Amino acid sequence: MSQLALPLKLQDHAVFESFWPAGNDALVAYLRELVAGGTAAGCWLWGQASTGKTHLLQAVCARLGSASIYLPLRELVDTSPELLEGLASRACICVDDIDAAAGRPGWEIGLFRLWNAAVEAGSMLVVAAVAPPRECGFELPDLLSRLGHLPAFHLLPLGEDERPRALQLRASHRGLELPDETARYLLKRSRRDMTSLYELLDRLDSEALKAQRRLTIPFVRDVIGAHAGC
Amino acid sequence: MQADSSLWNRCVSELRAELPEQQFNTWIRPLQAIESEQTLKLLAPNRFVVDWLQQHHIERILQLVNASGGNVEVIVEVGSRESGSISAAPGRLSGRVNQAPRIESRLNPSFTFANFVEGKSNQLARAAASQVGENPGKSYNPLFIYGGVGLGKTHLMQSIGNAMLARDPGARVSYVHSERFVGDMVRGLQHNTISDFKRSYRTLDALLIDDIQFFAGKERSQEEFFHTFNALLEGQRQIVLTCDRYPKEVSGLEERLKSRFGWGLTVAIEPPELETSVAILMSKAAAEGIGLPEEVAFFIAKRIRSNVRELEGALRRVVANSRFTGRPINLEFAKEALRDLLAMQDRLVSIENIQKTVAEYFKLRVADLLSKRRSRSVARPRQIAMALAKDLTSHSLPEIGDAFGGRDHTTVLHGCRRVAALRESDKRVDEDYLNLLRTLTG
Repeated sequence: MSQLALPLKLQDHAVFESFWPAGNDALVAYLRELVAGGTAAGCWLWGQASTGKTHLLQAVCARLGSASIYLPLRELVDTSPELLEGLASRACICVDDIDAAAGRPGWEIGLFRLWNAAVEAGSMLVVAAVAPPRECGFELPDLLSRLGHLPAFHLLPLGEDERPRALQLRASHRGLELPDETARYLLKRSRRDMTSLYELLDRLDSEALKAQRRLTIPFVRDVIGAHAGC
Repeated sequence: MQADSSLWNRCVSELRAELPEQQFNTWIRPLQAIESEQTLKLLAPNRFVVDWLQQHHIERILQLVNASGGNVEVIVEVGSRESGSISAAPGRLSGRVNQAPRIESRLNPSFTFANFVEGKSNQLARAAASQVGENPGKSYNPLFIYGGVGLGKTHLMQSIGNAMLARDPGARVSYVHSERFVGDMVRGLQHNTISDFKRSYRTLDALLIDDIQFFAGKERSQEEFFHTFNALLEGQRQIVLTCDRYPKEVSGLEERLKSRFGWGLTVAIEPPELETSVAILMSKAAAEGIGLPEEVAFFIAKRIRSNVRELEGALRRVVANSRFTGRPINLEFAKEALRDLLAMQDRLVSIENIQKTVAEYFKLRVADLLSKRRSRSVARPRQIAMALAKDLTSHSLPEIGDAFGGRDHTTVLHGCRRVAALRESDKRVDEDYLNLLRTLTG
């Protein structure tokens, strides 16, 4: 009988320390300075899926605590733009998938008001999208030009050589040891985007705890095989 | 009463472990706790968050509080610990009886005439604003500044307010975005403090209202603003307005307001010419103590043509990269830092797109632009399209010539020079060029 996994694993929250910055060092340094009380008004970070945009936004929130708020806009656009009212009372507003608001007049005007209120209150906006502001399809020119004021950083995807290292860093934050050969094995045998790899790491973590095993290739092979057969 | 509570911290730790991280960061983390022996007050940024908590998380929060052994009442309301303002207690504007409630100036002290970069595109507006700053209520009243987004209207408007305050620190000057004016008025109506609202605005020495196009369609706000406008003007108090277009062209605005906006002076701000953009970048960089080579400023200004805000955004991006990599700013470095941003832009502004836009603008067919026809009605638009292709894309002159029906690169060069000369001598050509530039760069 396998042992039940208790929710006692080490916390693996999205923080700067668990983000592998390869190629994105300037952006990470900029964000770290921002949360340390830098004078910049915020930041626009853009890039394809699975590059770590959400992780970085949440890392900002983790540093700033209750002075921040995180808004995953793609999940929230079906609610009401009233959600944006009064948010400038928080020192940092992190808006993920801001492009989800493009073409929705209520949300665009809501973001425009939020921007004006944030400027007045001295709050900052850290936003993430799939593209720079001009390519997101915003229709309110007043909003578009304001968003263009944020320095835009392109979040580059990790290269092939960097992915195992990013995975190992994430594992070590969970108190797991992920040997080089196992990391390389994972890259060869599963989906290679970082979101899928981190999800796989989640599963391996849980299974390793239940089985009291280390992350060896045979163990990982069994877990992946068992999952494939489900 | 203590600032943050160990009780709430314990709840937060539990919720953090239980909830997906995104949910935790959206709904729990922004709550600010104030605890006393009997109550745990949780301040949420707005009513929506309060309602969401009541629907989805309050039961669990209560369980955790009870499990901690405390017999504590949990209150969730809108507010913020930093500002000390809790909107559950509205109407705090009301001050002493018979004295008009003072509204904040909301001026940004960094917007001054001294750091406003003047060029051909904004010369007249700057001169008028400067006059108004020196003689408020007397020279041009109202002063109406109009132009596209991100061209410096707000900067000029706030410079007037700051100049007034510099000369008379006791002056009652208020900068307000029209959206906020509307919001304040609605709150005044809701909380029965509309008379405070009226008095606070009507007793100002200068009212600076930004982006009045947002009044469009809001009849009650227009009505209130109409009376505020009249009261201020009668008292020879200064009014400054900005808008994204000429007052007569704003639809959804009452005629009586439009006509009043024209009583003083109406001035336009145009998109900055290349040289002004360069000067703006150099000035911004100097203000932040950054050595910006002129060729880099030219590079950025040439590639970011839409507005000043985006120009500044691009500069910040280059500066950030330089600071965090320790490399000096030079042309190669700037190209590298902005490569991805500009590549996206290039994809949008293609020669084909320019040809299509120019053809539509002049009511021609793209085939006309590519044809051998040399009549002025076709040749002039073709030359303008070539000049735009040279200014907005990275294509070489031979490539541009090829794209225009296989013309020689010297023909392209001639066309570009001709357009530059005509823009100096013929206002209509200049207007056509700027309109097309605006359309193509958003």
